[in-house]
Amino acid sequence: MKTRIITGIMVTVLLLPALVFGAATAKLRHVVSIYLDAKEGMINLPQGVAARGTLVVVADSANGRLLKYTFQEGILKGGDEIRVTEVSYPEQVAISSKNEIFVLDGKQRRIARIGAEGSFKGFVKAEGVPGTSDFMPMSFRLDNADNLYILDIFSARVLVLDPAGKYLKSADFPEQYGFISDVEVDFRGTVFLLDSVKSTVYSLARDAKEFTALTRSLKDDMNFAVNMAVDAKGFLYIGDQNGGGVVIIGPDGSYQGRQLGFGWKEGLLRYPAQMAFNEKEDFFIADRNNNRIQIFSLIK
Amino acid sequence: MRLKSGIYSAILASIVLVFVFSQTDAQEKFKLKPGAKGKVCITCHADFQEKLKSLYVHTPVKTGDCTGCHSPHASSHGKLLAADPNRICFKCHSKILPDSAVSSHKVVSEGNCVKCHDPHATNNRFVLLKPGNDLCFGCHKSLGDSISKVKFKHSPVQKGCTVCHNPHASARGPHLLKEEAKTLCLQCHKTDKGSFASRHMGYPVAKGRCTTCHAPHGSDAGGLLYANVHKPVANKQCSQCHEAPTSSNPFATKKAGYELCKGCHSAMVNDTFNKNRIHWPVVSNKGCSSCHNPHASPEKGLLKAPMLGLCGNCHADTIARQQKSQTKHPPISEGNCTACHSPHSSDNAFILNQASVIDLCGTCHDWQKHSTHPIGEKLRDPRNKNLFVQCLSCHRSHGTENKNFIYFAQIGEMCTQCHAQYKR
Repeated sequence: MKTRIITGIMVTVLLLPALVFGAATAKLRHVVSIYLDAKEGMINLPQGVAARGTLVVVADSANGRLLKYTFQEGILKGGDEIRVTEVSYPEQVAISSKNEIFVLDGKQRRIARIGAEGSFKGFVKAEGVPGTSDFMPMSFRLDNADNLYILDIFSARVLVLDPAGKYLKSADFPEQYGFISDVEVDFRGTVFLLDSVKSTVYSLARDAKEFTALTRSLKDDMNFAVNMAVDAKGFLYIGDQNGGGVVIIGPDGSYQGRQLGFGWKEGLLRYPAQMAFNEKEDFFIADRNNNRIQIFSLIK
Repeated sequence: MRLKSGIYSAILASIVLVFVFSQTDAQEKFKLKPGAKGKVCITCHADFQEKLKSLYVHTPVKTGDCTGCHSPHASSHGKLLAADPNRICFKCHSKILPDSAVSSHKVVSEGNCVKCHDPHATNNRFVLLKPGNDLCFGCHKSLGDSISKVKFKHSPVQKGCTVCHNPHASARGPHLLKEEAKTLCLQCHKTDKGSFASRHMGYPVAKGRCTTCHAPHGSDAGGLLYANVHKPVANKQCSQCHEAPTSSNPFATKKAGYELCKGCHSAMVNDTFNKNRIHWPVVSNKGCSSCHNPHASPEKGLLKAPMLGLCGNCHADTIARQQKSQTKHPPISEGNCTACHSPHSSDNAFILNQASVIDLCGTCHDWQKHSTHPIGEKLRDPRNKNLFVQCLSCHRSHGTENKNFIYFAQIGEMCTQCHAQYKR
C-alpha cells in the first residue's frame, strides 16, 4: 500500500511539468531544407511557401519563378520550375483544394491564379464589393473552402471573396492600428491580423463584426514580425523577421514561447518571410536571407 | 460685536502661535540657543549675507529655516541636504507635477530643479538662474539659435517661452503647451476676421492643427510657414487636392492615398511601381502622407520628421539596435537612412539602393572592398551553401551589442563559425 502511494506521488510529480507546461512545449525540429531546384539551380531570396497534401510550392522571388516539390514522410523530391510571364516577382503563395496555385506578385501587387499544370489562369478580380472593387493586396490566404482573404492595405480592410471572386464580406482594420502586415485564417474561420508596429495580433471570430486585440503587445518578445501561420489547433506561429525566430501564441492569445534563433546554419533563420503548415503539421518557413526553405516537424 | 472681536482675537492668536511654533520647531529640534535660528548658520556662511540681498529669496532662506532643507550635523546626501536632492523640493512643491499631466518637463520629473532655479536666492523672478528665454535656450540651444536667426519672428516667443509653455508640466497640452496647440493659437488669432479667411482660401482651418503648416517659433518664410512648402500650398491652390471650401467635407481629399499625389508626381509614382519591392506604406490608405507632410515641413522632401524618428516610428527595433550598439554606423546615427535604402521601392532586399551589398558598403568603405577578408560571389559561405561571403556575413549593418557590429562577443567565436577547424 505504502509503495503504491509513493509510486503514485512520484508519477504525479514527474507528470506535473508536462501537464502544466504541455501547451508551451511545442518545439520545432528541423527535418530538411530546400536550397536547389530540380536542375540544381540555387533559389534566391524566397519569400513565399505553401503546402497542401504532399505538394509544396515555393516563391523563388528574386529568380521570378515558382518551384514545385513533393514532401512526404520526411522525403523531399522535385523542384520543377513554373515560370509565367504574367508574374515577375512572386512574394506569397497558396494552394487551393484543386491544387491551383495562387500567387501574390509583389511588383504588380496583384494575385495571380495558376492552374495545377502550371498555366496562367488570370488575376483575381473582386466582384460586387460595396464601394471600390479595387484592392491592394499585401498578403492573402485561402481557407478550407478556397475562399480568399485579402489584406487590402489601400482600403485598410480584409476583403473576403469566394473562389470565383465574388464578394462575401469585409472587415475594417481595428482602430489605432500601427501597420498591418499579414492576415491568417484558421479552421474555425477566425481571421487574424498581425500589426508589425504595435507587435499585436488582432482576431475576428467568424460571426464578429470588428477586430479586437487577441494578444498583449509582444514588443518584449519579438523585434519586427511580418508573417504568421496558424496550425490545426489554432496556435499562431509568428515570424520575427528582424529577430530571426518564431513566437508561438495560443488560441486564447497567450504567449507560449519562442523557437529558433538568428543565424545561418540549419535550424536558424535570417529574415524569415512566409510560413505555412500542411495537414500533417509539417511547418515550412521561407528563410529569405538564407536563400532556402526550411521544413520543421512540430513536437508537442 | 463682542463675538466678532472674539473671532478676530482667536485668528490673531492662531497666527502668532503658528509663527512661534515654527520658530521653536528647529530651535527645539536642534536645541539651538534662544534667538539663534536664522542666525547661527550665517555666522560661518558669511557669504550668504550678500546672497540674501538678492531681489528674490527662497522662502525658507528668507525665514532663516536652513534646516528646512539641510541637516546641520550629518547627512547621506551632498551639501548636507536633508533628503535626496532630486526629491527634496517636492516636500513643499508637491503639486508642481499634476497627476494627469499630458506632458512634463524632463528636468522637473527627474527632480533636477536646480538646473533652472537657485535654491537660495537670485535677482530673477522665481529664483531662476537666468532671466527670460536665456534660461530655456541654455538647454534648447539649437532652438534658441534658429529663433535668433529667423527672418519672421513670432511675437509671443519674443515675450517669453512661458507665454505658451508651462515650464514644469501641462495638464492640457503636449510639449508643455498651456493648452492644446490649436486652442492656444486661437487665443490670439481671430479666425472670424476676413483677412484670416482669405489667407486660408476660405477653408475652415480653425478646425485643423495650425502647426501642420506653421512654425510656431518663427520662420524665414512669410506667414510663418515651415521652410519647405508644398507647391500647391505656396500657390494657394488648396482645391487642387481638397474638396471646395464650401463643401460639406472641405478637408476631404479628391482622391485617396497615393492616387492623389500621382496627379502631379506621376513619373515618381510610376518609377516607384516599376520596382520589384515596394515599401508598403506607400500603397497603404495613408499613402504618401505616411511619411510626408502634404502642406509644409521643416524637413527636406516635406518629411514629417527627421528621418531617424520618422523611420523609427515603425522600425523602432532597428533604431534601438543602433542605439545599443557599441560602434555607431554614421548613416544611422546621423539619421541618414536613405544613404543605403530607397524609401519608396527597390529591386533589392531591404529596399537597398544597390543590388550588391559589397558595392553598397564600398561607397563609404572603398578600401575594404579589396583589402579585407576574401569576399565576393566566388566565395561560398561554409555555413550555408546558398550564400556567398559578403559584408553582412560578419557585420550587422544596424549594429549589435558588440564592437564593429559583429554578431559575436568574441571575435574568435565569429571566425570559427566558418573556420571550424580552429575551434577550441
